Amino acid sequence: MKQSIVPDSRREHPILGSRLALPRKITVIRPPGFSFGMIVAGLITLFGYQDLLYTLTIFRISIRYKQSILGWIWAVLQPLALMTIYTLIFFRVARVPSEGAPYPLFVFSGLLPWIFFSSAVSNSINGLINYPALLTKMYFPREIIPLSYVLAALVDFAIACVILSGLMAYYRVPPNWNDLYLFPIVTILGAFTSAVALFLSSIQVRFRDVGVALPLLLQVGMFAAPVVYSTTSVPLKFRQLFLLNPVASLIDSFRRVLLHGLTPDFAILFTAGLVTLCCLAVSYGYFKATEGNMADML
Amino acid sequence: MVDISLNHVSKRYLIDDSSRSPSRRWHTFDFLRKPEKVKWALRDVSFEVEEGESLGIIGNNGAGKSTILKLLSRITAPTSGEIRIRGRLAGLVEVSSGFHPELTGRENIFLNGSMLGMTRSEITGKIESIIEFAGIREYIDVPVKHYSSGMYVRLGFSIAAHLDPDILLLDEVLAVGDLAFQAKCLDLISQLRKSGRTMILISHDLAAIQKLCDHAMLLQRGQVLMSGSPADVIEHYERIAMSVEEPIYVGAGADAKLAECQNLAFTSEDSDQSVRTGYPMIARFGFRAHEILDDVVFNILFYWPSGYLCAQLTTSLSDPHLRIGRGSGIVEFHCPVLEVQPGLYRVDVAIESNGVSIDSQRRCSVLRVHPGKSVLGDFYMDTVWRMLP
Repeated sequence: MKQSIVPDSRREHPILGSRLALPRKITVIRPPGFSFGMIVAGLITLFGYQDLLYTLTIFRISIRYKQSILGWIWAVLQPLALMTIYTLIFFRVARVPSEGAPYPLFVFSGLLPWIFFSSAVSNSINGLINYPALLTKMYFPREIIPLSYVLAALVDFAIACVILSGLMAYYRVPPNWNDLYLFPIVTILGAFTSAVALFLSSIQVRFRDVGVALPLLLQVGMFAAPVVYSTTSVPLKFRQLFLLNPVASLIDSFRRVLLHGLTPDFAILFTAGLVTLCCLAVSYGYFKATEGNMADML
Repeated sequence: MVDISLNHVSKRYLIDDSSRSPSRRWHTFDFLRKPEKVKWALRDVSFEVEEGESLGIIGNNGAGKSTILKLLSRITAPTSGEIRIRGRLAGLVEVSSGFHPELTGRENIFLNGSMLGMTRSEITGKIESIIEFAGIREYIDVPVKHYSSGMYVRLGFSIAAHLDPDILLLDEVLAVGDLAFQAKCLDLISQLRKSGRTMILISHDLAAIQKLCDHAMLLQRGQVLMSGSPADVIEHYERIAMSVEEPIYVGAGADAKLAECQNLAFTSEDSDQSVRTGYPMIARFGFRAHEILDDVVFNILFYWPSGYLCAQLTTSLSDPHLRIGRGSGIVEFHCPVLEVQPGLYRVDVAIESNGVSIDSQRRCSVLRVHPGKSVLGDFYMDTVWRMLP
């Protein structure tokens, strides 16, 4: 798809009256395919639809809480409940080491990024198939639907972070300038989450097996990341492989910055960024290549 | 300037073979293979629409008309070929499909507006006018799930109307809201057309095509059969439709049936005259029964090109307990005065016994009614009159 601009003049509209005609863009539609050009063109179109992404994210959040009494509290109730359960099981019963930090704080700081990842992915994969009328009757870049779920989950994450800072104050963990490293960490996590969400939601349109398998996969995924245990518990010879998973290494960095006030391990952060970038490019390209025929499969 | 051009565009739909269940697909890894059933909705279609021109597309169901709309509005992608669109394109079709029931009217204006490609500031600037045009100001802050279906569609149409597109796509003539709102919409469309917007109209309503379009195109089985002035194309289409000889069979094969419809013919009383409004018409319905049947009803249904059921001939009114023997026969219906107006009618035939459909053939024939006694309106009413002293 290419776009160029051709000048035009004034014109009449029955309701809006006489107005200066907007320059006309030429849209070229070709059969979809996996190519670098498609990715770039897709990103340009997506940029033009940024207002829709914004509107849809806001509405995702407001719809979710519109008919519930507890409303926003749900965003923090889930991590708090899980924190309590995991503290009882893994600290009281199993005596899992927690890098010297209080275990509730340790597990809560791992749960927040994990819950962001898992709820964003599990909400977004059904996004495309839940409202088939949107896909079969209207056009807009389809990736906006899964991405809006990711952004809505990011808002929940931000709310839960307020509780996290309260918890840190309670355990007297002081804030630190290194906390600013949280921004790149969360950005990479958000990008990786988007990559997974785009890829899985596009497969889900064709094969609904993804939606059935996902709860199990996420369960396994949680134990493949240092949520309830510390990275230091992973045997050294597996640790490189373990940290190749961006979710694992980002949760580890998140905790390292927040609880210990250290700078992240830049080699690990860079690897996570690189893996994320590759995944995102492949997943977005795949999404764009399948987008054109999604409406036919619903 | 050319606003729309299609260059050798084809669209193929892959149809899942329903005989392979998902679990079997999983076990045999059949899902990795390509589905075997393939349907070409469009084959090598090329055409251009000039700026300010309005094109009408006609054709039977399944000819590919809606596929063209879907391709142009980018809902689905072409399998091969290239489409060029110059300017903003909007379909006044299915205008309220983007609504979310839990959100208020105002929130939905923002949601649907941005789905149609408007920016938030653009919507903020137009929102008052949108609410005004839809005429639902009192309800604008109520969730749309409490709206009546008419309000739903009015709001949807109003948003789409404010999009100010360069190119308009219209599917069928709008059946939106009440009569007053319909008139408002049609008025808007004709004003948009006058102000130089390009238009593509897809319709079964040949009269609307003739009235609204500068140019018409006839599609058949995904290919452009003819293109030219609306009058010429419509005439050609009617000629083809008249020569339909192969009916569409519905249901099981003939051997499995108790009875079947065999043929249907319409004539006037004089065999050299055509069927005309206001004059007698004779319909002969040939059938073959394989069993002795009780409580038999023969039906002939007439549809307008839009699909609206317009009239019915039936044996059930005068004899609901008709008994027929084995073998073939002919039912002759005699209408002393044909009351329908000139035009083309699609015809379904059906045989029922004991209230159960035994054979039904949809769209199996066409009735061409020629001008006879000419009156205004939808029907000719046979009348006698006298002057009272």
